[in-house]
Amino acid sequence: MNNIFLKDMAYRRTRVVLTAIGITVLILLILFLGGIMNGMRIQATQYVKSTGADIWISAEGSGGAFIGFSMLIEEHMGQLNAARGLEPHSASPLVFAQARPIIRGKPSKAIVVGFRPGKLGGPTHVLEGRMFEKSEFEDYSPEYVPPLQVVVDEKMGLEIGERIVIGGKELKVVGKVKSLMFVLDTPLLFMEIRTAQDVLLGSYPRVNMMIAKSSERVSPEQVAKQFEYSPLKIEVRTLQQTIDDIIDYYVVSPMRAVTFLRVMLWLAAGILVGMITYVTTLEKTQEIGVLKAIGASNMYVMQLILKQVVLISIIGVLCGLILSFIFAAVAPIFVSIHLLESIIVAVISFFVCCFSGYLAARKAVAVDPMLAFRGEI
Amino acid sequence: MGIVVEGKGLTKRFGDGEAGVLAVDSVDFAIGEGELVMLMGDSGCGKTTLISLLGCILTPNEGELWIDGEQINHPDQDLSVVRREKIGFVFQLFHLLPYLTALENVIVAMDLAGKKSDLAENRAKELLIQVGLEDRLEHRPAQLSGGEKQRVSFARALANNPNIVFADEPTANLDSRQSENLMSLVRELRQEHSTTIAIVTHHEGLRKDADRIVQMKDGRILSE
Repeated sequence: MNNIFLKDMAYRRTRVVLTAIGITVLILLILFLGGIMNGMRIQATQYVKSTGADIWISAEGSGGAFIGFSMLIEEHMGQLNAARGLEPHSASPLVFAQARPIIRGKPSKAIVVGFRPGKLGGPTHVLEGRMFEKSEFEDYSPEYVPPLQVVVDEKMGLEIGERIVIGGKELKVVGKVKSLMFVLDTPLLFMEIRTAQDVLLGSYPRVNMMIAKSSERVSPEQVAKQFEYSPLKIEVRTLQQTIDDIIDYYVVSPMRAVTFLRVMLWLAAGILVGMITYVTTLEKTQEIGVLKAIGASNMYVMQLILKQVVLISIIGVLCGLILSFIFAAVAPIFVSIHLLESIIVAVISFFVCCFSGYLAARKAVAVDPMLAFRGEI
Repeated sequence: MGIVVEGKGLTKRFGDGEAGVLAVDSVDFAIGEGELVMLMGDSGCGKTTLISLLGCILTPNEGELWIDGEQINHPDQDLSVVRREKIGFVFQLFHLLPYLTALENVIVAMDLAGKKSDLAENRAKELLIQVGLEDRLEHRPAQLSGGEKQRVSFARALANNPNIVFADEPTANLDSRQSENLMSLVRELRQEHSTTIAIVTHHEGLRKDADRIVQMKDGRILSE
């Protein structure tokens, strides 16, 4: 009668279901939190990667283009373009700053990206509408009013022709681009660099960073190295360094607590299974005593309990795995759960549950068959 | 008549020092093949402890135990094998597994002994029909009366054709009619299977069925 453990589980179905639900919820949380971190990691880097630039320049002491406060004068552009190892005229100034646009009368959050059309730093084409107009003057001109136009992220739900307000100025939505949301679904608003300076910096002719592309014959590391002793008071980083900076600043550091929480949840899953197995074993000591009195070996008793632990763990872990993908699909923020990573997490969780179940099941093996002579089951 | 179970100088102590209890004190005791022996005596006199020692449930502090001519070597031997192959138990409170039907409760004993499932099922059905439960095969313990549960318990004890069945107060939780029915069953089973049975009981009315009455007091055998 190989299914005796199933009959026992069916008899104690409420406890079995509650235990499986407990494991499901814990696995779901572990995977979902991992998915949030993955989502942040993807969003943190997708814009940077999309620019095509592999050299990122920020002000000295800023700690990186996206990390600290960085203001550069545009005059550096000339020297940058003259640097060896860069693709000709690839250097481009960039404004990248958080903003609080008023959208449909409500304050919202977004990141303003000001760049020169046709240069590195923004999308080259739109999905709907058109690209914003180019500034009439390449150099800064205090009297000139730049085109108050903006190209928005497709997921913002804005219509072409709608108006949004940034820095007290009204900008017209002229186009929509493929979504390149920044961390935690922060949409990007693309505009002419002069427009960004106008609405965010009060026409102050500064940029946050400059970007460029190294030529095929020279590695970005070599290009970055030649600026090490530059008198320009700038920091030069490669694409990889910039990505590492962003991930560390926007994902790893703020999510340290979440990583800790994930480990705690793993522990909780193990403790939950161990505790319930232990309590169930205590509750069944007399039954186990009877089984041993009628000839059950320690191995038989251990197998009986471990089969239950394994089955409950499999059910809980699988349900958690499936639900995590469903929840990720309907979550209000971007959650990216990788199948392989989830399977690894699920397998580890399964073994944590089984191991703690095994520790508790050892109690059952030690049950004295003499218990069969006392009390009621 | 061969000896089925024999204890020589069996002693069992629970606890140490002044708080310790000498439950069985140097008992020499043997049960012959086909015998129905009744162990009687006041509560706490050591009856249950003695059959636990004889049934390989407890390990004696001192003494020797022989079952079916083979000495039991307590520290080294897997006693679960002895329990499932040579001994059957009937408990005062029946102790059927609540999640199994009457039929499955009998099958499980044979399953432990590694008997094939179809053979085990046929044998379990035979035994349950023999104890008068042919219409209760698929009933769970909660759906059975006390007397019916004890019948299932006897069927389970006999499942592996044991050398001896130990029954601990089998009628203690039954009314007089159920007790009488159970004892009739015991008589029938003895005739049918020639089973050796040792019953611990307080029930004076059962004396008439015994081949031998063993009276215990303070862990010792007073008279046989």
